[in-house]
Amino acid sequence: MNYNKLTCEDAQVLIMGLIDGELTSEQQESLKKHIDSCSSCREQYELFSKLKEETLNMKLKPLPEMYWDEYWTHVYNKIERRAGWIFISIGLILIVSFGFYEFVKDFLMNSTQPLILRAGVSVLGIGIIITGISVLREKLMVRKKDKYRSILR
Amino acid sequence: MVINWKEQMLTDKDAILACQSGNTEAFRHLVEKYKTRAYYSALLLTKNSEDALDLSQDAFFRAFRSLNRFDTSKNFYTWFYKILRNLCINHIHRREKIVQMVHDDDGADAFDRLEHEDKNPEEIFEENERSQMLWAGLNKLKETDREIILLKEFDDMSYQEIADALGIPVGSVMSRLFYARKRLLKEVESLNEL
Ligand SMILES: [Zn+2]
Repeated sequence: MNYNKLTCEDAQVLIMGLIDGELTSEQQESLKKHIDSCSSCREQYELFSKLKEETLNMKLKPLPEMYWDEYWTHVYNKIERRAGWIFISIGLILIVSFGFYEFVKDFLMNSTQPLILRAGVSVLGIGIIITGISVLREKLMVRKKDKYRSILR
Repeated sequence: MVINWKEQMLTDKDAILACQSGNTEAFRHLVEKYKTRAYYSALLLTKNSEDALDLSQDAFFRAFRSLNRFDTSKNFYTWFYKILRNLCINHIHRREKIVQMVHDDDGADAFDRLEHEDKNPEEIFEENERSQMLWAGLNKLKETDREIILLKEFDDMSYQEIADALGIPVGSVMSRLFYARKRLLKEVESLNEL
C-alpha cells in the first residue's frame, strides 16, 4: 500500500486500525491527511468510531459471585473424575479379561490348536473388552450431560 | 514446589510448565486468570449462560488434558480459545439439529422454549435499547463477521491475537474487521428503520 496516495477504500480499511489503535505512525499520518481532505471518509470515520464506542458500551450481565467462587471446583472435579475413570476402566479391563481368560482357558492351553489362532482369540477378546468399556463410559457421560435429550422423548 | 495461584508474579509460562510436570494447583492460576474471559466468550457464542459456564469449564478441563502438547512459546489464551470455540460450535450445531428435529415433530412447546432461550438478549445484556439493537444486528451477521467483532470488542484482543486465534494472516485482520463492521452498520441501520 502506498500511504501517500490512499484510495478511499484503503483509507476506510485503515480507519479500523486507527480506532483500534493498531496503526504505525506512518499509516496514521497518511490516513489523517486523507480524512482531512475527503469528506466521505471523514463521515465513515465518525460512523465507525461511534459504532466502536457503542459496542464497547454494551454491558454484559454480570454472573452472580457464587458461580465464580465455584468455578475452579467444577473444573477440578472434571479433572479428578477423569483420573477416577482411568482407574475404573483399568480395573474393569483386568477383571473382565480375567473372566474371559478363565472362560477360554482350555482352548488357549490346548497345544493342538494353532498358535496363531490362540493368539488371535486372545487379542480379539482384549479388543472387544476395551471397546465395550469405552462405549459404556461414553454412554454414561453423554446421558448425564445432555439436557436436551428429554425434549426428544 | 508449592505454587500460590494468587501470586500475580507467576507467568502463564511458569504455570504451564508446572502443570506439565503434574501440578494441578498451578492450573488453577490459569483458570482463575482467564475464567471471566472464557465464560463471556462462550456466552456470546452460545447465548445461554448455563451452557456458557459448562462449556467454558469443559474447555479448561480439555486444555489441561492436552497441556503436554502446548508449545510454551505461544500465547496460552489464543490456544485455549480454539478449544473453547470448537466446543461451543459443536454444541450450537447439536442444538440446532435438535431444534430442527423437534420442529419436524411439531413439538411446538419445546421448540418455542429452545427458540426463546436462544434469542433472548436480556439474559446477556443489561437492559438498554441501543445494546439490544446492536446485539440483534450482530446476530444477523454471518458467524465469521460476528466472531471477529466479538474478539476485538469484547475479548479486547490485539490484531496479532485475533490472527492467532482464528488462524488467519495478521495482514487480513484489518480488512476483515472493516467488512464485518460495515455489514453490522448496515444491519443496525435497517433495524432502526423498522
Ligand atoms: Zn476518501
